[in-house]
Amino acid sequence: MFWQVLRDPALGCSSYLLGDEVEGSAMVVDALGALGAEAYVLAAQEAGLAIRWVVETHVHADHASAAQALAAAMQVPVTLSHRANASFPTAAVRDGDEIRWGSLEVTVWETPGHTPDSISLVVRDTERGRDPWVVLTGDSLFVGDVGRPDLGDAAPEQIRAAALDQFHSVRRFLGLPDFTEVHPAHYGSSPCGGLFMSKKPSSTVGYERRFNRMLDIAEAEQFVDQQLALLKPPPEDAERLRQENLGAPASERIPASAPGLPLSPLSPLFPVSSRPPQGGVVS
Amino acid sequence: MTGAQMMEAASEGRLLMLDVRPGVAYARGHAAHSVSVPFAQRGWAAPVKNWLDRQGAMPVVLLADNAVVGAAARGALQEVGIEPEAVWDGGPQAWRESGLSLVSVPDITADQLAGELADWTVIDVREPYEWRSGVIPGAKTIPLNQVPGQLGSLSPVGRYALVCAHGNRSQSAAAFLADRGFQVANVRGGMALWLAGRHPTVPAGQA
Repeated sequence: MFWQVLRDPALGCSSYLLGDEVEGSAMVVDALGALGAEAYVLAAQEAGLAIRWVVETHVHADHASAAQALAAAMQVPVTLSHRANASFPTAAVRDGDEIRWGSLEVTVWETPGHTPDSISLVVRDTERGRDPWVVLTGDSLFVGDVGRPDLGDAAPEQIRAAALDQFHSVRRFLGLPDFTEVHPAHYGSSPCGGLFMSKKPSSTVGYERRFNRMLDIAEAEQFVDQQLALLKPPPEDAERLRQENLGAPASERIPASAPGLPLSPLSPLFPVSSRPPQGGVVS
Repeated sequence: MTGAQMMEAASEGRLLMLDVRPGVAYARGHAAHSVSVPFAQRGWAAPVKNWLDRQGAMPVVLLADNAVVGAAARGALQEVGIEPEAVWDGGPQAWRESGLSLVSVPDITADQLAGELADWTVIDVREPYEWRSGVIPGAKTIPLNQVPGQLGSLSPVGRYALVCAHGNRSQSAAAFLADRGFQVANVRGGMALWLAGRHPTVPAGQA
């Protein structure tokens, strides 16, 4: 299996290029606008691979995606959850769908919570065995934390329901063997996670089982309360980024907010949106 | 220039078609008379220029299957003073529609080859120091750069399965032989998958 991680440290984003060198094809997961579509095309070329799948684990609300540009350059659709409402050509996937090429087998898990359209990808290298090797968890499970539930919808009761979805989604990962590597879409101080998120970008299911405080909570309501209590302010321009990443025409997009917003005293590098955190405050 | 004119010029040595896609894509289908030089961002242009200089002055056409790699390869050649005549970045389908004819190198899996070993002559193009892993029973060993000099020892009616460690070098050799009319197949994944499939090997001297 060919495996390369492309990161944007400024926003704590990880994206993934995985491929089968014998077959000569690759999949890109969560291509980053900050790096640009060309970076992925050239990285794949360097590895002797052609990009055949451009996958988004969800519609991102914290950063610009390069998925549309990359998919257009490679003349393939963007692979997204059937629950995403994009205006560009997509290949919709559902729970249990499998994408296979060469010795690679990628199984889609629907893991709603961070957003309704969140998916995770369980990766097997069948040349080595049937056990999963890697799980790409998107914004569902992070190292030490879970994805925030409030960026997909605005109404408070929907956020509670999303947090409950997240409870069930992240517990599903505990069914994987301990040695399965966990590779999320974010790390560090990314606004998509909570207070417990690690600056280390990847771990294993065994590590999360042992050290992730959100996975310690076995009771759903308690998990939901805890998630809502720990919410950070939403990322600046979250809704505009979501619209862009869904492919909305420029004329229908929310304009970018003016620069020079006040900075939060709690995290001085992170601009506070005019929208207050939903569902609770940091306790 | 049409595809047909380009092919004619390439076959008469008046033009060079450089295919900059990855080797697997080239093996799957490439323009007849094109040369495989997979583009890489570092260290690619200088050796290509050296090779082009040895071919004598003639127009160069780049073949790619996306605009990003096509433009990057053109830019890299421009930096070493070579101005490509054209970049055809539409991929094999578009080339065929423009009049280029395509050649492909069939693959054979290790399992399939093991089952029909009697029907094939295996050519192992690895270097001698790699033979320690053993070779496929009956294989001829011809290191990659000696393949052009050994054409005379091959039969026009033989069926040749080309193998190396992982299937990349053997792909170049298979494409080279296919372009010259030999019946060939490339062993997918090379000796790595032959050994992974627990197929037999013998010491190189006893093949």
